[in-house]
Amino acid sequence: MADHITSKLNQDTHLILDQPLIRLPFELLRKNFKVAHFTVEKEGSAVKTAVRETANASLTASSSPDEVLKNVDSMLARMKGLKRKLAACQEEETRLQQQSVSRIRHLAQLYEMQSLDDVKYEEWSRTRLDRLLVDYLLRHGYKESASALSKEKGIEDLVDVETFVQMSKIRESLRNQRVNEALAWCAENKKELRKMESKLEFMLRFQQYIELVRTQEQSKLLESIAHAKKYLLPFKDLYPKEVQQACGLLAFPPGTRAEAYSEIYSPHRWTILANLFMQTHNTLLALPPVPLLHIALSAGLSALKTPSCHSSHLSSSISPTSSSCITTSVCPICSTELNDLARNVPYANHTKSHVESDLVMLPNRRVYATQRLEEYSRKAGLADGMIKDLRTGEVFKMENTKKVYIS
Amino acid sequence: MDALYIELAKLRKDATLTQSMADVDKIIEQLERAKECIVQDPNSASITLTKLQNPIKSGFDKVTEDLTKVDRGLKAYGKALNKNFPVKALPTEYDALASHPNLINRAIAMHMLREGQFSVASTFLSEAQEYPPQPEPTVGTPNPSEEDDGDLTSLKSRELQERFSNMYQILHELKARNLHPAIEWARMNSEELEKRGSNLEFELSKLQYVWLFLGPEVNGLPDDIHNGYMGALQYARDHFGRFQGRHLLDIRKLSAALIYRSNLRDSPYYRTFDTLTAWDDVSASFTREFCSLLGLSAESPLYIAATAGAIALPTLLKLASIVKEKRTEWTTQNELPVEIALPSSMIFHAIFVCPVSKEQTTDTNPPMMMPCGHVVAKESLQKLSKGSRFKCPYCPNESQPKDAREIIL
Repeated sequence: MADHITSKLNQDTHLILDQPLIRLPFELLRKNFKVAHFTVEKEGSAVKTAVRETANASLTASSSPDEVLKNVDSMLARMKGLKRKLAACQEEETRLQQQSVSRIRHLAQLYEMQSLDDVKYEEWSRTRLDRLLVDYLLRHGYKESASALSKEKGIEDLVDVETFVQMSKIRESLRNQRVNEALAWCAENKKELRKMESKLEFMLRFQQYIELVRTQEQSKLLESIAHAKKYLLPFKDLYPKEVQQACGLLAFPPGTRAEAYSEIYSPHRWTILANLFMQTHNTLLALPPVPLLHIALSAGLSALKTPSCHSSHLSSSISPTSSSCITTSVCPICSTELNDLARNVPYANHTKSHVESDLVMLPNRRVYATQRLEEYSRKAGLADGMIKDLRTGEVFKMENTKKVYIS
Repeated sequence: MDALYIELAKLRKDATLTQSMADVDKIIEQLERAKECIVQDPNSASITLTKLQNPIKSGFDKVTEDLTKVDRGLKAYGKALNKNFPVKALPTEYDALASHPNLINRAIAMHMLREGQFSVASTFLSEAQEYPPQPEPTVGTPNPSEEDDGDLTSLKSRELQERFSNMYQILHELKARNLHPAIEWARMNSEELEKRGSNLEFELSKLQYVWLFLGPEVNGLPDDIHNGYMGALQYARDHFGRFQGRHLLDIRKLSAALIYRSNLRDSPYYRTFDTLTAWDDVSASFTREFCSLLGLSAESPLYIAATAGAIALPTLLKLASIVKEKRTEWTTQNELPVEIALPSSMIFHAIFVCPVSKEQTTDTNPPMMMPCGHVVAKESLQKLSKGSRFKCPYCPNESQPKDAREIIL
């Protein structure tokens, strides 16, 4: 059985929450490279063709020198455009690489520590909490707070404000019933989305179709049929249910009582789309689907929670029996911040009792360590042989206490 | 991490877009040269362009080659990443906290306030109020919106902020070696502090005495009758009276030290007058008492919980992979199925595990002490005794179940 108390630090497993920290810049680097590659391919073949065609035209004398010059100019313009795009990619590349350096350095600090009691660990762990908080804030779209926090803590290189801000923008546009931004994003990531067999684009197109049908105008209905032919029908083998629904929808105008179809007109679909987008986005960039803070907290709350944390006993939140000081700090689970949140999580498993030695029970059934009682009573200025309950303040004679043996 | 660092350095050195940029520049140069040729001699247009075809093609081949290098570099780095920092799945299938975003927001706001990040906190509060989070139903809480989730308006953030800004002010003064604001606070709250069994007020006053006693060379205060041992004596006369009942012994020690003032270093009182850690100690106990009087823990609970979570996660994940087939998620159980070892600083309550049933005691199954002083859980006691006289499982003593008394740990 594992020991009850430990200060052992196993870096490899301890960094479990920090995977996106290193993974995300890498994914972004890859994406950035693909953009650069794609641009070079596209512009390259265009310029090569243009050179060949202009040369041919010029050889057969079917174009004047002026036209040739014009063509060369447009080639030059293309090349300069390519250079601009590449320069942007390069800038992004440098930024991401620099970011990776800072992040690896940050994680490497943990490997310099020997144990969880290391003073440096606290500082490191505080930075981690700040990172988790920024991640949480960004996922909820609290952009200002996230930037303010990362700025105040100087951890800009360790958080991904930009990525999440873009994500929130698109998600917000979906919540406001606009698909264009999301569709543009799909076009940007077409290959990857196809590789992961994402349904997102199809669902966006489906929504466009629904909106066209919703108008019930003749021209829009015609358009909707063309739209369905182009974007929905090709997927009839992949998503037969949705394609069928789409076809059927034409027969059920909005306000229909057929539940299967009235649901399709429901504005709730936009929320579903927004969530689907967020999921797809996070999977694509190897980001966990839920805030890291949730993962850390739900494990942490349980690890710390004891049955006493939500006990009905008077002032059990301040339990002086388990710390070296006379007055103790409030347990974090009992503290106002987390108490309600921890109510529904399981409490920690313990196989051994963890109490002080030399316990006595006072006549009011409360149990304390003798030494602590004596020290407290002395400081409270009580007469010899008298002791005072640390929590209730009642005063008893020492001889009325009874020894407690906890095995 | 070092191996990864080396790979990244390689990537930064060899696999960047810099080379492709240079080669694109070369193509532009060639185009521009060709253009000049044509401008100067329009008749050479066809020959210039024909000659241009191959260089342009090879120019682009070069760019593609550069890009292939970057691609290779990225792949190598990706491999190093997988090797040195392998992907470990996180427990994301079941997010028990998704149904309480308001509670989390409140915890975060309080965390920011207690950490003294007032401007971030106010930004957060306004943003969170403008865009309240959407609770999602979970197994534990199927209808989150129906439950009265503590929202941010109930937080009284202004009041909290005032309190904490007061706390930071006092801590700031302590750092500057000024005890007066802290002493004043302790005096104002002396009754409650005493109830908690805290000696903070006396500890602070004691330090003030010691600080004056050490004189201007150490404390840097003006060298007058209010400083040095005279100042200390005066301070003791003015302020120690109230502590006589409780701290007579300490006060005697402090006054007796006056005799040794010329040779304090070798006196038995040297330890009392060593202020090396004293300032940090009083700052820490001041923070603890201040937060406790607010009903809050001294350390940010969010910090402790997140740290504990990071410590607990590896164990929980190992467990999750085992119980996955049984389809029981640990987050839905009443008690974690595995023990998690935490640093001793993260253990706050006394824990009693019944030696018979091996279960932790709870409100409904409290610890019961038999007349011999041994303790078992109530349910174990009932099973052991079956209502009649029984033997303690730990000693030869026999007793009646009605003689056992519930204890409060």
